[in-house]
Amino acid sequence: MDYTISTVAPIVLLPFFAFVINVFLAKRVPLAAVAISTLAIFGSFICAFRIFLDFQNVYAVGYHIHKVFTWFDLSAGEHLFKVNMGIYIDNMTAVMLLMVTAVATLIHVFSTWYMHDDERFARFFVYMSLFTSAMLGLVLSDNLLSMFIFWELMGFCSYSLIGFYYEKEGAGNASMKAFMTTRVGDVFFLLGILICWMIVGSTTFVDIYAAIGAGKFAGSFNVFGIALPIATVAAFSVFMGTMGKSAQFPIHVWLPDAMFGPTPCSALIHAATMVAAGVYLSLRMFPLMEAGHLLTFIAYIGAITAFGAATIALIQTDIKAVLAYSTISQLGYMVIGIGVGSYNASFMHLITHAVFKACLFLSAGSVIHSIHCQEMPQMGGLRKKLPYTFFAMLLCCFAIAGVPFFSGFVSKDRILGDALVLALENPSYWGVAILGFGGALLTAFYMFRMLFLTFFGEPRDHHIYDHAHEEHIGWNSNVPLLILSVFTLGLFYSGSFTGQGEINLFGSKNEWFSTLIHKPEASHLEHFAHYEHEDFGATDTRDKVELPKAQYDENHGMDEHHAHWVHQIHHLGAILSILIAFSGIFMAYLMYIKKSVNPGWWAETFAGWRRALQNKYYFDDLYINKIIQKGLLPFNDMLAKFDSQYYDKYVVDGTAVLNRWAFNVARWFDNNIIDSGMVDGTGASVRAVNLILRTIQSGKIQLYFIVLIVVLGSYILTLRF
Amino acid sequence: MISLGAYLGISFILFICGIMVMIARKNIIAILLGIELILNASALNFAAYTKFVNGNLEGHIMALFIIITAAAESAVGLGIVIRFFQLRESIHIDDASTLQN
Repeated sequence: MDYTISTVAPIVLLPFFAFVINVFLAKRVPLAAVAISTLAIFGSFICAFRIFLDFQNVYAVGYHIHKVFTWFDLSAGEHLFKVNMGIYIDNMTAVMLLMVTAVATLIHVFSTWYMHDDERFARFFVYMSLFTSAMLGLVLSDNLLSMFIFWELMGFCSYSLIGFYYEKEGAGNASMKAFMTTRVGDVFFLLGILICWMIVGSTTFVDIYAAIGAGKFAGSFNVFGIALPIATVAAFSVFMGTMGKSAQFPIHVWLPDAMFGPTPCSALIHAATMVAAGVYLSLRMFPLMEAGHLLTFIAYIGAITAFGAATIALIQTDIKAVLAYSTISQLGYMVIGIGVGSYNASFMHLITHAVFKACLFLSAGSVIHSIHCQEMPQMGGLRKKLPYTFFAMLLCCFAIAGVPFFSGFVSKDRILGDALVLALENPSYWGVAILGFGGALLTAFYMFRMLFLTFFGEPRDHHIYDHAHEEHIGWNSNVPLLILSVFTLGLFYSGSFTGQGEINLFGSKNEWFSTLIHKPEASHLEHFAHYEHEDFGATDTRDKVELPKAQYDENHGMDEHHAHWVHQIHHLGAILSILIAFSGIFMAYLMYIKKSVNPGWWAETFAGWRRALQNKYYFDDLYINKIIQKGLLPFNDMLAKFDSQYYDKYVVDGTAVLNRWAFNVARWFDNNIIDSGMVDGTGASVRAVNLILRTIQSGKIQLYFIVLIVVLGSYILTLRF
Repeated sequence: MISLGAYLGISFILFICGIMVMIARKNIIAILLGIELILNASALNFAAYTKFVNGNLEGHIMALFIIITAAAESAVGLGIVIRFFQLRESIHIDDASTLQN
């Protein structure tokens, strides 16, 4: 396949053009705007699918397309200042493109049903188009700078969509909170980009990899006498961007509030794509994280997030809040995956999570749309009214809980298995493994608690139940859910049912995920310096090289003995995961269906714990009441006071006084010296000289003649003698 | 044979007379007459020199030119004097000391 402007650019540009057109069309022809947005993203999906197929056909690890063009060039002589933009497609990008476009297409289709009676129906699609375009641009970016541009664009769309129901109380604050909280991370991210630019002279991933391989990040900054290693500072800064965008502890507080937005936007932005972009960034910058020795820190951040968010999700009653906390928790697993170095498992979890969480959110949207209520205590027994939604949600709950044969098991189990292996090798990782497995137990529990409370048992609110719409199959209401729920099966991702390689399907293409996606190994980073790139243009200028097909490596590059040991640990982890998943589900079953265990008893026994959970571990309290009210606002007041009382009074007014004084001096000088002395003096002196000279010019011709004679005579006499 | 010095002496006397007339007299017509004397002095010089030094006719031709110029000059000068008299009813040279009116 040719990678030219006409095959790659539409992926980003179609939704973007849809956005531009719809800005003008949304008010006048809402339905046309909706259709344009949906068709545009479908067009992107087709382009992305072609790319994905091409990458599957080539099936080689090193296969990549890197096309660049110069954005601007301010080089002057020796000083190089050339900013390149470009696209970088490798196996990871291809999978990511397919996931984003596919999920976005289905969510757009779903939105045409979910949002159709909303008064701002078309405006929703305007934002969604812009968002999708930005997300796809981010995925295609070959450098941190354009990534950052798209990153901020997504932040803006997220802000707009959280505040979409601005008449709802709290939506405005929630959108502001999301925007400002992610800003904390983004500032650091920008700092990281600047450090990379300073060290490498380019922000392109390949150049950064090569620079890390060449040891350019080895030095240290000297800040007030403390030597900070450059690699660590850069890695931490970039990872702060991930923490902000992917809602990692301790700046996760915005994501639960982001649920004020419409449910499809929560599905697309706050579950499937945008929050995953943070993880994608960390995956792209993995060599930097490794070089900065930040992996343990990352693993612990992920573990705390995964476990902490799962505990909060235990007691949520709002169906979307459960999903929001489970999203934070699952993002925590991806971050654990980065931290324990299981690169492809982390990425795989990103993809599988995007699919099942999008489906979960859409199912929740379907429930909310049919009963106009989000509180689970008022639901119950909806299984009969919403059979298709129930089916989709059941599959997704299996996936997220880590039931074998489902995608969540395949990916999460690999992460946990790697965490276990690492913990056995390095005891400092035990916390990560324990928190990870503990979080898995809680995940299985709270997801099935949600499922049971929503769909099983007797209807708790008969008014709501009786008014619930009966669900019929509809191309845009529940078909998207069913399509997504099919893709929660693990075999699509691993080629084998369990993810352990036991029961293989697709012949040679088994385990394509771990075959194709390899982390940039620290020892191989040097060869990125030789990665060739072409100009981005209308024709493809690459040399057509046949690449060797990638082979599935049983040992994952380890020696036989070690690999055997790792596999055994993985099997152990898998068995543990399965036990944990089923015990979580069983607990939920006992509590909410069989009712043999009373949830109230737990709530009373652990009342203090429960209060902490209800207050979300007091993070909002800490940030808003302590840091902002007690710290930032007084600081703000102090600054304001300083500003008005000192700066304004003395500096600004003082400047004015000084200025006026200086102006008076200047005016005196101007009036007396310049005007009277010099300007008038020039006139006066001219006049005075004139008074003398005018006596000569009397007009008496004979006098002139005498002068002439005297002058001529004296001249002649001078010559003569 | 009259010597060159005699010619130049006569010419010099004429020139000095012309100068004296131009400086001393206040009558414009008298001043014009003085100019005529100066011109004649120079014409005499030309004629004398061409006779004693050169021997060709260039000096004579120059003298003729001077006579013609003098005639034209006096005609124009008299015209100006007549116009001036019409304006000021005077031919006193000091009445012509202003540039306008």
